[in-house]
Amino acid sequence: MRRSGARDGRPDVVVSGLGIVSPYGAGVKSFWTGLAAGACAIKPITVIDTEGFRSRIAAEIPAEVVNTLGSSRRRSRADRIALAAAREALTDSGLEGRARAEAALLIGAVGGGMLEGEVWYWGEWRGHPSSGTRALRSVLPFSHAETLGGRLGLTGPKETVVMACASGAASIALGADLIRAGVVPTAVVGGVDALTHTCFMGFNALKLLDPTPCRPFDRDRRGMSIGEAAAFLVIEDARHCRARGGRVYARLAGYGMTTDAHHVTAPHPAGEGMIHAMQQALDDAGLAAADVGYANAHGTGTPQNDRAEALALRAVFGDGGVLVSSTKSLVGHTMAAAGSVEAAATILALQHGLLPPTANLEQVDPDVPFDCLPGIARAAEVAAALSNSFGFGGQNVSLVFQKPEQSR
Amino acid sequence: MSDRRVVVTGLGTVNASTVGGREALAGALALGRSAIGPVRAFDTADMSSRLAAEVDETTLVFLVDRDAARRLSRICRLALGACLLAVRDAQVGGGRGLGIVVGTEYGDFTSSRDFAQGFLRRGPGGLSPMIFPNTVMNTMASIAAIAIGAKAPSITLNQATLAGDLAVARGARMIADGRAEAVVAGGVDELFHDVYQRLARMGALSPMRSRDPEGCRPFAADHNGPVLGEGATFLVLEERAAARARGAQIMAEIAATAWGNVPTAPHTGRATRVDAGSPVARLIRGRGATGVARCYGAGNGDPAVDDWERALLARDLGGRDDLLPPVSLAPLFGQHGGLGALRVGAAALDAARGTSAVLVHGIARGGCRTAVVVEPAA
Repeated sequence: MRRSGARDGRPDVVVSGLGIVSPYGAGVKSFWTGLAAGACAIKPITVIDTEGFRSRIAAEIPAEVVNTLGSSRRRSRADRIALAAAREALTDSGLEGRARAEAALLIGAVGGGMLEGEVWYWGEWRGHPSSGTRALRSVLPFSHAETLGGRLGLTGPKETVVMACASGAASIALGADLIRAGVVPTAVVGGVDALTHTCFMGFNALKLLDPTPCRPFDRDRRGMSIGEAAAFLVIEDARHCRARGGRVYARLAGYGMTTDAHHVTAPHPAGEGMIHAMQQALDDAGLAAADVGYANAHGTGTPQNDRAEALALRAVFGDGGVLVSSTKSLVGHTMAAAGSVEAAATILALQHGLLPPTANLEQVDPDVPFDCLPGIARAAEVAAALSNSFGFGGQNVSLVFQKPEQSR
Repeated sequence: MSDRRVVVTGLGTVNASTVGGREALAGALALGRSAIGPVRAFDTADMSSRLAAEVDETTLVFLVDRDAARRLSRICRLALGACLLAVRDAQVGGGRGLGIVVGTEYGDFTSSRDFAQGFLRRGPGGLSPMIFPNTVMNTMASIAAIAIGAKAPSITLNQATLAGDLAVARGARMIADGRAEAVVAGGVDELFHDVYQRLARMGALSPMRSRDPEGCRPFAADHNGPVLGEGATFLVLEERAAARARGAQIMAEIAATAWGNVPTAPHTGRATRVDAGSPVARLIRGRGATGVARCYGAGNGDPAVDDWERALLARDLGGRDDLLPPVSLAPLFGQHGGLGALRVGAAALDAARGTSAVLVHGIARGGCRTAVVVEPAA
């Protein structure tokens, strides 16, 4: 359906800024250091009472990191990490003045300020009502966009994209379309999710959480490990970026976005929607599968997802046709932030020529015919890389990034 | 930037006034009868607000088959019912070219409450794996996508006041950009006791602690807050050439869309806050208001929204006082996530009757601003 953004004369989109607050800490530097070291940040949860649950671990942002983010403690945890990450991305991009003010803001979000809302609601339920309403005002996902849009003074299109675990990737894709259409020259795009009781309890109820740190693509995988993060990219019309002398991390060469229309919680068993998303992304980028050297998989560690994704990768790239890893094994499944966290990981992998590993992978599932980079990061110069994000509701988003020297 | 033009080829609505396609909405608008009345779904005796525009539960029974209805939450049934009516009205089929965009303000809070209460009552053993997926706001889109076979992007947008407007604007963008051939776009919200009660307590609903009587009176001197409604309204948007080729009954053209932000503190709106140059201001100022024959607005009786919208439009419409205040549909249907799509639907009906150009404008607390320009199909 979709043509290449480059081929039809529309603006090329590049990534000119990154900002992340992850379980490794605040900042892109700590994020990359953790990924490169293959350090698994999945540990016992402290922000939620886990008594009585099958899984009691997650990749949590350390309290000392959240407490030193520099924004008001009156804001929700999610707002605070989102604001810090978006600020870092904007500062990193060097955008100033009108070019910065005109930026679009697209935020992938699911949980909103639910962590604080839950405390409020549970208190009321247990007969200890709070008179304050602040927790309620920030409980909905769009509160992040209101907070960031107001604090950062952005006047461009503002959207809160709720596409489950594909939200962060979708916000990047939809922001790119605004640039390609000439609506804005720049956009701040990404996702955020803080740990919430609802998320933790829900995935426990579905028995989708591994009691031990997750093992994507392992023969004995038993589910995922949840996490929390905020990651934002500044994406920009390449001509605009070039004209102002901005730094280019990578080119967002293309994307694909499809819906399974199959089941609310289960992926299509043959990975049909996933295959189409990856193929669309390649077509959009004007690339062949052989041009892509690395795929940052959705790779949750659940038997169903990894099986379907392996089938889909196989259909697109052929057996062993691409190096694959899941950074969820390192920083957990950060839900609405996952797509932008993994986009950032993919971009940094291209930049550094080092592919982050899949942690905890000991016995590769025989149905996964790929080198999944077990345990240790691998040096590899790849020109283009793919990042997959799939979510409840059969939402599939694939992003293709290229090294800047490949950009026009 | 794109030569792909977007037209409206269908409409489906399930609201407090009417249920059906384009004719049903035209009938409700012509009748002009407010669906707002005392809340029936729950007891409001201890609340300061007591009005709402509610969808009669019995109408839902005829929209979604019984087996599906048993599995679905109420808001999913509202969304699914309106989507099915919309694709029926448009006579459009599913497939890889069909996408969906759902706007909502509150999502499925009923399921979030039920899920939490399962735990609060019985601990981990009380958690329902069946309810949990509904706590994520994209479930309505997911259910509808399965039912109508939408395999192009399925997007859910969360936004106060303008959820439906924003969904239509994004849906039109998807077609213009070649991401879909057709998109079912609109919004949905349900009336939910806990949200209603807490908004009333916060003074966010009419009468907002004023002495004037409770009611939805947008732009009036005694406006004192919104009255909540519920329902779902979806439009079918299509690429014009493809719609013509299949012989679709085209209602109107979406001639232009824009959305942006007027920076302000969360949940606030100030009439003195000027739009320094969002895409909406650029669109309205750039096109000029000379061809605009009618203007719908998001004003819903909330003084912060009403006053801000009037001030923004007075500045951007360049002296077209005849368009002010904009027409509000909130007194008919109540404030809910589908109201923006109802506004665009009403504009499409106006255009189908020959009205030259209709501006559907919106501003929300928190600064989101939208504009959709609807014209007769060429």
